[in-house]
Formats: sequence, C-alpha cells, structure tokens
Amino acid sequence: MLYLSQLINAPVRDRTGERIASVRDVLLRFGEGHPPLTGIIARQGRRNFLIKFASIATITAREITLSTTKINLEPFERRDGEILLSRDVLDRQLIDVNGKRVVRVNDLQIAFVDGQYRVIGVDVGARALMSRLGFGRKSDRPVLGDVIDWKDIEYLAVNAPSVGLKVSHDRLGKLHPADIANIIEDLSYHEGSEIVSSLDDETAADTLEELDDSRQAEIIGGLDSERAADILEEMAPDDAADVLADLPQEKQDELLALMEQDESDDVRELLEYRDNTAGGLMTTDYIAVPMTMTVEQALGYLRAMDPDEQPDMVYYFYVVEHGPDVPADAAFKPQDDVPEYLRGVVTLRQLTLAEPTTPLTEVMERDLITASPTDRADDAARQLIEYGLYALPVTEEDHSLLGIITVDDAMERLLPGSWRQRLRVFS
Amino acid sequence: MPSKMPPKIDLPLDADTLVSSPVVPVHPTQALRGVLGNAMPAAVEQLRRIRPRRREGAPVSRRKWLVYLSLLGPGIVTASAGNDAGGIATYSNAGAQYGYGLIWAMIVLIPALAVVQEMCARMGAVTGKGLTDLIREEFSLRWTAFVMLALLVANGGIVISEFVGIAAAFELFGVSKYLSVPLMSLVIWVLIAKGSYRRVERVFLVMALVLFTYPIAAFLAHPDWGNVARQTVHPSVSFSGAYLFAVVTLIGTTISPYMQLYVQSSVAEKGVSPQDFPVTRADVYIGSLFANVVAILIIVATGATLFVKGIQIQDAADAARALEPLAGPFAKVLFGVGLLGASLLAAGVLPLATAYGISEAFGFEKGVNRGWRDAPVFLGIFTGLIAIGAIVALIPGLPLVQVLLFTQLINGLALPFVLISVLRLVNNRDLMGKYCNGRIYNVIAIITTVVVSLLSVALLINTFLGFFGLGLK
Repeated sequence: MLYLSQLINAPVRDRTGERIASVRDVLLRFGEGHPPLTGIIARQGRRNFLIKFASIATITAREITLSTTKINLEPFERRDGEILLSRDVLDRQLIDVNGKRVVRVNDLQIAFVDGQYRVIGVDVGARALMSRLGFGRKSDRPVLGDVIDWKDIEYLAVNAPSVGLKVSHDRLGKLHPADIANIIEDLSYHEGSEIVSSLDDETAADTLEELDDSRQAEIIGGLDSERAADILEEMAPDDAADVLADLPQEKQDELLALMEQDESDDVRELLEYRDNTAGGLMTTDYIAVPMTMTVEQALGYLRAMDPDEQPDMVYYFYVVEHGPDVPADAAFKPQDDVPEYLRGVVTLRQLTLAEPTTPLTEVMERDLITASPTDRADDAARQLIEYGLYALPVTEEDHSLLGIITVDDAMERLLPGSWRQRLRVFS
Repeated sequence: MPSKMPPKIDLPLDADTLVSSPVVPVHPTQALRGVLGNAMPAAVEQLRRIRPRRREGAPVSRRKWLVYLSLLGPGIVTASAGNDAGGIATYSNAGAQYGYGLIWAMIVLIPALAVVQEMCARMGAVTGKGLTDLIREEFSLRWTAFVMLALLVANGGIVISEFVGIAAAFELFGVSKYLSVPLMSLVIWVLIAKGSYRRVERVFLVMALVLFTYPIAAFLAHPDWGNVARQTVHPSVSFSGAYLFAVVTLIGTTISPYMQLYVQSSVAEKGVSPQDFPVTRADVYIGSLFANVVAILIIVATGATLFVKGIQIQDAADAARALEPLAGPFAKVLFGVGLLGASLLAAGVLPLATAYGISEAFGFEKGVNRGWRDAPVFLGIFTGLIAIGAIVALIPGLPLVQVLLFTQLINGLALPFVLISVLRLVNNRDLMGKYCNGRIYNVIAIITTVVVSLLSVALLINTFLGFFGLGLK
C-alpha cells in the first residue's frame, strides 16, 4: 500500500534508472467506488506534464520507474471531471457518510487493485500528520479508525471549482436531516449550499429547518430562486416565514412570487407578525373543522385532505364557525379570506373514543385558552406549557382563528439551552 | 424557528444523537416530561416532533457562538477585544511612561489594522472559511504546523494575561490571587465544559463595557489637547530598547493574531456574500477606527493623570487612577469591575477559539461535549491553555505589568507569520478570484507586514545583544 504523501516529490526514473523528473501530483478521474488513477503529474525544470499509467513500470514508496526511456513532454492541462489528489483532496475537508461527520484528509491510501492503481482510503489520523511532518515512521500506520474507505466519503465539488465536477450527494441525502444539518454546520456556506441544492426538496426543507435562522437564510438566498421557492413550499409556513424574514425585501418578494399561491399566502400572512410576538411564533398549519360536522366526518375530512396539506399537528381539531354568509354545509373547504370563529377544540383521543355519529359540538371543549397575536411570544409559550397543551390557538378579539403555536416551537423558545433565545437577547 | 415537521416520524429517536450528547443540561424530552408530568401517550408523538437537538446545550458549535458575538457587529467586538487586560495594561503603560508620545503610533496603526482586518473579513466572505482552514488547505503542512504553533503560543500568552488580569482585579477588592485564580479557572473550565458559559457571558460582557468609561475620564482629566496634538504630529521618536519594546507591544495588542482569526470566522459564519461585502467592509473600518480611538483615549487618560505626576504603573491600583477624574474614590471599583469582566470574557472565549481553530486545521474532533476519548487534542488545548494561564498567574511575586506587556510582545512577534500567510492567501487568484488585493491595498499591507517584521526582528536582536551588554537601552 502506498500513501500519497510518499509519492509527492518522489523521483521519476526512466528505464535506465536515470532521474528525469519528480512527482508533482496524482490525477484521478472522478467516479463511483474506488476510481482508478489516470496519471502522474511530473515536473521537469519548470514544466508540469502528464505521465500516463501505460508508461509506468513500477510505483514504490520511494520512486516511480517508467517502462520507457522517452516520455511525452506535453504540458499538462486540467480537464473536466479530473481532480488532482494533492491539490484538490489532500488537506481538505470531505464528508464521511458512515461516520456522519466532516473529516480532514491527512493522507490518502493508494493500492493496486483489479489491475489498476486506485485511491482506496482516506487517512484522517494524527499519525498521518506526524509522519508527514517527519516524526514517526510510515510503517507505524495505519491505525484502526484512522482510515476511511474512499467509497464511504463524499467529495465537495466546490473544492475543485475549475473542473466542472458532477458530484452526487445521494448517500448523504439518505441520512437523517438532523445529521445532514450537523454536517452543514461544520462546513462553509458554499459547501453547505452545494449539499442542500443536491437534496430532494423535502429533505432539503427538513434539513434547513434544523439549521439556525441566519444559516437557513444564507443558504436559501444563495440558491437558484426557482429551487429556493420549491424548498420553501416544502417547509412549514412559520419556518418559511422566518427564513424569508431574514432575506432582503427584493429577494423575499421574488421568492414569494415564485411559490405556489396557497403556500405563499400562508407565509405572507405570518410575515406580518413581529418575530417576538405570539403571531410570529405561530403557524397556519392546523386542522379546522366546522361545527356542523360529526366525529366521523371530522376524521374523514382529515383523511381526505391532500397529503401535502395534512398538518403535522393533528392532535387537536379546532372547531370553527363561519360568518353568516357562508353556507354551513358538510362539504367544507377552508378559505383563506373567510374568517373562522373558534368555538371549541376536540382532541384526537376524544374523536377516536367517541361514537362516530356524535356531533362535534357534543364532545368539544368550549373553555379555551387562547393567545392574541400581539402577546409576547415568551408569554404565549409559557401559557402553553403551564396548561400542558400541545398547541395554543392564536385568535383575534372576535375569536377568529389566526393560527396555532405548537409545543415544540414553544419549548424551543423557552428551553435554557436554546440558541434562539440567546440570540434574541442581543438582536 | 423550530419546525413542526419531524424529519421522519416513523424513525425511532436517533440513539446516537442522544447518547453522544451527555452534557446536555436539560434534554427537551426531559424538560417536556418535567412540564407535562407523565403525560398522555400522544406525548410520544410530540416528543418525536421535538427533535433530539443536535449536540445542544454546550457551546458546541463554534459557529454558533461566533454568530452570537457577531451580532454585536464585528466593529464593537473588535474594540472590546482590544480592551482586555493586556490591552489596558499596554495602553495605560504607554500613557504613563511616554505621556502622549506614543499616540502617533496608534494613529499609524489605524490604517494598518483596518487593512489587515478587511483582508481577513474579505477572505471570510469570499471563501466562507476560517483563516486556519485556509492556511491548512493552501500551504504546506510544515508551514501550517509552524503558524499554528505561533498562534498557540500567542493566544496562550493572551490567556495568561487574562488570568493576570483576573488576579489583579480581585486584588483591587482585597481578594488574594491564590484564592481567586484557582477558583476562577475552575469556574471558567466547568462553565465551558458543561455548556453554561453563554449564560454568564452576558454578565462578563456588561462588566467589560464599564471600561468604555475611559474616554469620559480622558475628557474629564482636562488634558492639554494642544500638547496632545503637538506630540502626535511631531513625536520625539527614540531608538531606545524600551521605546522599541513599547511600540511592539502596542502593535501586538492592537493587531493581535487572534483578532484576524476572529474577524474572518465571524464573517464566514454570518455568510456574508462577496456582493454584500461592502457593508461588512464599512463595519470593519469603523470598528478599527473606533478601537484605536478608544486606545488613544486610554493613553490620553493615563498621560493626563499618571504621566504628569511621574507615576509608573506597577499594579492595577496605579492603572485605576486614570479613572479618578471620572469616578474619584470609586475609580478602583470601576476599574476592577471592568478589568474583571473583560478578563473573564476573554479567558473563556480564547482557549475555546484556539482549540477550535487548531483542531479544525488539523482535522481533530472538536466540541466540548465530545469527551476526552473522542477529542483529546481539542480538550487538551482548551484545558491546557486555562491551566497554564492560571499557573503562571499564580507564580509568587510575579511582576504583573511586565507579564502583561510581555504577552503582548509575544503577539507582536507572532504577528508577521500570520500577516505573511494572510497576504499570500488574499493574493491567491485561484482562491480569491477578482476579490484579490488591489495595488494600494497591497502596498499598505506589505508595508505593515515588513515594518512589523523588522520591528520584531530589531527587538529580538536588541534583547539578544542586551545579554552581552551591547543592546540599546
């Protein structure tokens, strides 16, 4: 097994053993699995040239011997899809997909496998560093855990911007969004954008929600606008509103215009409220059912909803009454411009246990704890926790329902370890 | 804002995430249980909705505390950082020893600081990476190791100065340093390792703001402004060893290597794009100007109070007298509170920032909640710096002011290596593209680097010759 650090600056000898150049770098055609090396970049005098593997007889840790006496001194030029191991990979950061972490490349293992020289492993250990600095012998390596299989890493194309790499982050995309977010937080925003733009819309949205607001805005702001709008649509409306609020007005307008009408209407509504008010904390993602429904109809209504529209918070069904001019029929369609007056709440538990034909008005809780959109966000959150609720409705004085504050948002707001809270102190 | 969307609701809680965060003070699930009691089964659904927060609780992510500090605007932070124990000692000493005679140096340092800070901020905006990352990625491993060592020593020096500051501040209140320093080092270590540092950081910050009373004191001392102006325009530059020492310490504390790391990381973390950079540039310029103006006013305040009476600063009580025109008999209290806040703030942040920077450059695991087995180097650097700072500050009969000045000198000596790295990076076209330095910029930056390097070398030679009795006195 060879290490890249041993090859760099090693002498290149021709068949007669005469030193004709020294190794400058190693060329790799980017690909899946363990891609083969395509050549050695050697330097003679002031010129870099490419030696193809066809003309190499042996490679050892000390030297490279050619099978010919003549070499083609054509100057080396970079081509798309090819990376230089020393320049583009060594000392840079990669993603260790199995370890769900960002690693720095301290050395690369090269081995002769299946008839070709290939990169097989990434050494991230401290010993690799020490030996490159001249402390410790090469044979001391590798230590278990220091070397990661090359096929388990993902390369970040922004590290080699000039060669138009198409890097897939498919394997990264299969990780839990919280893990992807962790990785992004350890990387620069260019690298983070590269990862987010490679994810599918839903994973991208979930991942962004795990990042802190300023980073979300920075990544969304850096993406292609169409794509950014697609991801925002996938995000919960209150999260999308928070991201948009951190962007410049023009960008905000542009993205809102690109989003689907339903989604952007919700977000627009939420953008009206100030960040530290109950209105700013709430989401419009909730179930509202008309008073005229029965238990069965209410459950049927939820099931019949478009899966994309089904709210995350399904434990509470908010029972509402419309204004006099809206026909109170069972074929209920929520309409954004029609106020819904909150009359009661039914829990999923009650709905499950009650007789299907029972009218909602018989099972619903009528004494409700609500917040006003202008209440302080902390007060509303504290109220929710005090009463042990999973969500707190936010209503106007006339009881028209505007949105709900969910327990996770409230907790995040109040928890001592929460960064948001700390950030606000200074913002 | 937290999401409503559990990333994948049918997944069990990620066991790894939970197990790997042993120091989380209150895990959301526990907190929730505490609040709701053993709530209904539906709570399970809710618990999943509250995702296992990523390594939350500790100042785990360097990124996050940087974001937090950077909200103050890099300008004010820069100014505050220059106002730590070492900074106050250096500026006060310059004022007490030379009156207004070194103000010219601070004026010259304004463009120098502005240009250096701007270059680092620009690199942060263009690359999105920190300075230690770029050094590792663009230079040889040997140079990286060398610069990191220089940074470790320089930052170690500052940490020592912060603990000396803590000792001095407590002694103003009559508390022995043999009590205060071990206690405070332990408190800082525990606060950071257990992730509660941020809770008290605000207190330290507010305490440190007390030191911004210096400008008021400077005006109330009724200095002879004509004389200030005269000496600034026509300084009587001396070539004595002591004068050289004073100038290098001023440079070391004003353009400290740590500040370059800091400004670049905070800009990178804020995600300032190259297009938005002009705003950040203005902020950096204003910050540099502000920092130096405050420094100049500290010199004026001490020059007008101590220098005119011929008092040399031997301990914190002497330095505190510069605040007497403002606070009278309470000068000591004011100075003590400010010094303590500034020292505690930096004594916490610096070891952490150094450990992060170096671990990142070498690719070591990092994060205070990782444990000794996973992140020995990170925790070693962070713990070692606090330990060394505390131990040095405890040496009996330690000449406080001399130690403070000496640590700034180390910074001055380490600075050329950082500046050379910065200059090479910022002129690297592959890295910076069209955001490389312009010609005027390079001229100022190169002059700064060369002058700083020459002064450092001159001081070293002079000190060396001094051993043989040949040096300038």
